[in-house]
Amino acid sequence: MILAALLLVTQVAAQDPRLERLDPDTRSAVAAIADSAHGVGLPVEPIIQRALEGATKGASGARIVAAVRRLAVDLGTARSALGTSASAPELEAAVAALRAGATPQVLAHLRDVRRPPLTMALSVLADLVASGVPADSAAAAVLALAPKARDADLVEFRRAVERDIALGAPPGAATSVRLNTGAFTTDAGSPGSPGTPPARPRRP
Amino acid sequence: MGINKVEPSDAELVRRVRAGDIGAYGALVSRYRGRLGRYAVHMIGDHEDAEEALQDSFVRAYRSLARCDDPARFGAWLYGILVNRCRTTGARAARRRRMFVNDAQALNGAAHADQVDRLDSTDAVDRALARLAPEYREAFLLKHVEDLEYDEISELTGAGVSALKMRVKRAREQLQKYLREAEHV
Amino acid sequence: MFEPEDETVERVIQHLRRPVAIDAGLDARVMREIAQASSPRRRAWPRWSAGAAAAAAAAAVLGALVVARPWARNATSRADTLQFVLVAPQAASVALVGDFNDWDPARSPMQTAHGIWAKALRLAPGRYRYAFLVNGVEWRADPGAPAAKDDEFGTPSSVVTVGGRGS
Repeated sequence: MILAALLLVTQVAAQDPRLERLDPDTRSAVAAIADSAHGVGLPVEPIIQRALEGATKGASGARIVAAVRRLAVDLGTARSALGTSASAPELEAAVAALRAGATPQVLAHLRDVRRPPLTMALSVLADLVASGVPADSAAAAVLALAPKARDADLVEFRRAVERDIALGAPPGAATSVRLNTGAFTTDAGSPGSPGTPPARPRRP
Repeated sequence: MGINKVEPSDAELVRRVRAGDIGAYGALVSRYRGRLGRYAVHMIGDHEDAEEALQDSFVRAYRSLARCDDPARFGAWLYGILVNRCRTTGARAARRRRMFVNDAQALNGAAHADQVDRLDSTDAVDRALARLAPEYREAFLLKHVEDLEYDEISELTGAGVSALKMRVKRAREQLQKYLREAEHV
Repeated sequence: MFEPEDETVERVIQHLRRPVAIDAGLDARVMREIAQASSPRRRAWPRWSAGAAAAAAAAAVLGALVVARPWARNATSRADTLQFVLVAPQAASVALVGDFNDWDPARSPMQTAHGIWAKALRLAPGRYRYAFLVNGVEWRADPGAPAAKDDEFGTPSSVVTVGGRGS
């Protein structure tokens, strides 16, 4: 019975032909990590993609395995913070936010104040930190906007802050100034029309 | 657990899938992707469309696996799904392409100009194959490349055995003709 | 009528019997679609119908790039079309590589006009790391996108996020 159950913890990753791009030792290490992640309900695809990234970039097997292992652990941490109903995109974005310096408490708070999906909110948090905004300022800003702002508003906020930083503003100041202008919370008169999809393909 | 080098049969894999082991279907996909992919690419003449047809066929086969009456002949049953799916792609592509047939090709007397310009390969064989009528190409590929028996092909395509033999014969004649034309260009 | 041993046709048959390369990611795509079979209704992303010849080529490529991801469990998720652009007038080739195409440089070669390289991709909701591979050897991040800070492989990458419909 247990044997059958073990067999049924399907070797999802082991059968993934994309992993053939890795050398055999790396492949089996990555597959094992992916399969055990799968076994505890974590998404496998991000793990596979990280391995493939390493393969394409010519990274050593050891480096690939280390990266994959770290990602699997971080996905677990993200899931503890966001809960088991978090989707794979949310978990990936949460990993980025955690690595940017957000605490699990911030993630849990975000989950409490914002309807899913949280993907964009978490990404914006991580991206703000990547632009130089201190982690706690970024977290505070996103949490302040999270209850009401649409995803598009959050993206626009991030872009506005990045523009200001590029023009020379200190990152923390840029964030709080933009936040305090109140231009990014939704109300009838806010810039950016609600709900209409962009007519042209947008830039990242 | 021990290492078992003997590959499970199609029937065994189908049985496992039906029992809930989705992973076993992955083994079937691995087993057939090459051959079916080869047929789809040659039949449709476009790699991306062929892969889409192939992917669709595998998914369709999974969803209707309960209707595979003889799991030992899963492969042949899967071919049937793919053959039909390729026909749909061909028809769609032909309608799309009809807008772009240029006069030069019509003047050259290409039997199916809408198929000719689909292929960017300059390989004479691929071009000749593309010029065949779809039902001739289908019969030729299933018989001579995929090595199916006439009665199997009859089951897949719905055509009678003697009609199929005629199609294969015509295909052979036309291929010969097109290749000789190509040599004299 | 005399029919000699048909060498020409045999040549054709031998040619056609050769193995044909099928995209390695196909198996995973099949398995993902199947795994989704019991989950909430999956949207079939519409294939764009060809209008002009140029649009036909673009549509074929975009169609091939639509990959069903079994991620978003909420039914509000939608794919978004993103335009990736790199200005690289000296480059001979630029490939877009990332989490959306298995980091395979052959999958998304970019088109160029006047030194501006571009590629449109339709992406399901998610956060994607990516980079440009210039001339097959040089990795470049996207200057117009957030940087991927957790770069473990020593080369620059960028991030793009596609959200679901916001709250």
